[in-house]
Amino acid sequence: MAGASASISAAGAPQRRPPGALARLLAHPSFRWGLLLFGLVALAGVLALWLAPFDPLRNNFRTRLRPPDGTFWFGTDRFGRDILSRTLFGIQVSLRIGLGVAFVTALVGGALGAMAGFLHRLDGPLMRVMDALMAFPAVLLAIALAAALGPSELNVILALSIAYVPRTARVMRAGVLVVREFPFVEGARAIGASPTRVLLRHVLPNAMAPLVVQQTYVFALAVLAEAVLSFLGVGPPPPTPTLGGIISDGRDFIQEAPWVSLAPGVVIAMVVLGLNLMGDGLRDALDPRLRTAVQ
Amino acid sequence: MLRYAARRLLTALPVLLIVSLLSFGIVWIVPGDVAAEMAGPTATAEELARLRERLGLTRPWHEQLVGWYGALLQGDLGESILLRQGVGSAIVERLPVTLSLTFVALAIAFVAGTGLGTLAAVRVGKAADRAAMGTALIGFSLPDFWLGLVLVYFFAVVLGWLPTGGYVPFAQDPLGWARSMLLPAATLALSQMGLFARMTRAAMLEVLRQDYVRTARAKGMPGWVVVGKHALRNALVPVVTVAGIACGVLLGGAVVIESVFSLPGVGRLIVGAIQRRDYPVIQGGLLLTATIFVLVNLAVDLLYALLDPRIRHGRR
Repeated sequence: MAGASASISAAGAPQRRPPGALARLLAHPSFRWGLLLFGLVALAGVLALWLAPFDPLRNNFRTRLRPPDGTFWFGTDRFGRDILSRTLFGIQVSLRIGLGVAFVTALVGGALGAMAGFLHRLDGPLMRVMDALMAFPAVLLAIALAAALGPSELNVILALSIAYVPRTARVMRAGVLVVREFPFVEGARAIGASPTRVLLRHVLPNAMAPLVVQQTYVFALAVLAEAVLSFLGVGPPPPTPTLGGIISDGRDFIQEAPWVSLAPGVVIAMVVLGLNLMGDGLRDALDPRLRTAVQ
Repeated sequence: MLRYAARRLLTALPVLLIVSLLSFGIVWIVPGDVAAEMAGPTATAEELARLRERLGLTRPWHEQLVGWYGALLQGDLGESILLRQGVGSAIVERLPVTLSLTFVALAIAFVAGTGLGTLAAVRVGKAADRAAMGTALIGFSLPDFWLGLVLVYFFAVVLGWLPTGGYVPFAQDPLGWARSMLLPAATLALSQMGLFARMTRAAMLEVLRQDYVRTARAKGMPGWVVVGKHALRNALVPVVTVAGIACGVLLGGAVVIESVFSLPGVGRLIVGAIQRRDYPVIQGGLLLTATIFVLVNLAVDLLYALLDPRIRHGRR
């Protein structure tokens, strides 16, 4: 129903009130698929405490490197730990870090981008620093920062936020630059609103849509990058179960126990694919002008 | 053109300056004593003192900074603590591996990505479009290091067609080189292939609406000539520009892929240095990859301006 009305109004049907952003979003097929994929994994992660059949940290040398069967659905690793349980708890870590990075970059990058776009004098210096940060391959920069800061979940969030903040700042700046030229902003200035009020009340709320879309992609990138960091051993320290860490555990046993690395990789792919699909849906629903743009 | 080149170079300089400053500064965010962390818990006080001396940590920070830039200007990146070798020569030794991996991956990503994107644009809205875009989306959603392991399992462990890892220099055995590059490059290419496909599709849809495409069709040209000759050439211009950015992403990705496939490249050098806290190598590696990225993008911009006069005259 909602899908039909969305496509009619897109085709230019006679004036009918266009459906709201939320209706458009839920009618969007890729958003729905994305929500399903992401939601399934996220739910499994949230309910890990109840769903996990075993203690994710307990070693049991009698059950080491068991292939998947009725007891151990995804098999066991070299310490006999249940991979299903470890994967479920690993999801929690991935989502906490992804969400943390999305929030921190939204706050810091949003503020920096808004200042760069709104205050002409700050634009040059701020964006040069962002350019310089972007010149480092994001994953490499995050690896180096995480290693230097020391292994902890908070430091991973910090390192990834520094690596991804330039993207958010750029998107925010571009949005502010467009919105500040609109007549209603000029109107607000003309009736004597202070620059702070113009920025906070008029420019920012109207420049938010691209930021929301971007943060969905940043969330996805952060989940991928966290897996890389954990894979290389600079993520949250063991024995914390992380998806990248489980894949790394399985790497040495790829010949005799290929199942160890399998499940966490599929789970990461589901989360990232889900987020990317949701991002595409959000982009179409919130800001049709961005439809042709790529990330 | 010269004026544009000079202006573009001037914006690259401060970026390079900040890049070098950040590479220098990475040591300063290490909580506590860098030397103690590098030397490990078994080091004696004397060893620590010697290490501090070698790292220049005994001098005040501004002297260290001046020393860093002084050495940089002479092309000296410092001395690796663990390899007992200059950072510069350690990197140069391993650069051919990383560059061949990056460029083979770039080639695969570009050809496959533009192919998928063109297919999707020509069949827009049809099943082929959805299949191509689905492939692209899955391409940049899969964790590449994991995909690498899956490919190693199938092609090396199960089928035994390709080596599980390692590197064969091109000069020694071109076929062996190709066999050693195929899996890692294909793995690395996948995410950028998705981006190229999306960009090509968007650009193609734009170009296919143009008048000259309609004219070409109207005068009875076969469809594939119109698409291949008239449309694709123009659609590729913006896609080529992102190749510079893709280069940087691939260089970063190479760090992980080299570790998965045991390729002796710069990425593995840096990861090894990070795991063993060999800070001079980390600093030099970061600086070098970022510099390559800035220079590649500079080259792409200049090339683009050379090809399209609107850019060097327009306000940018």
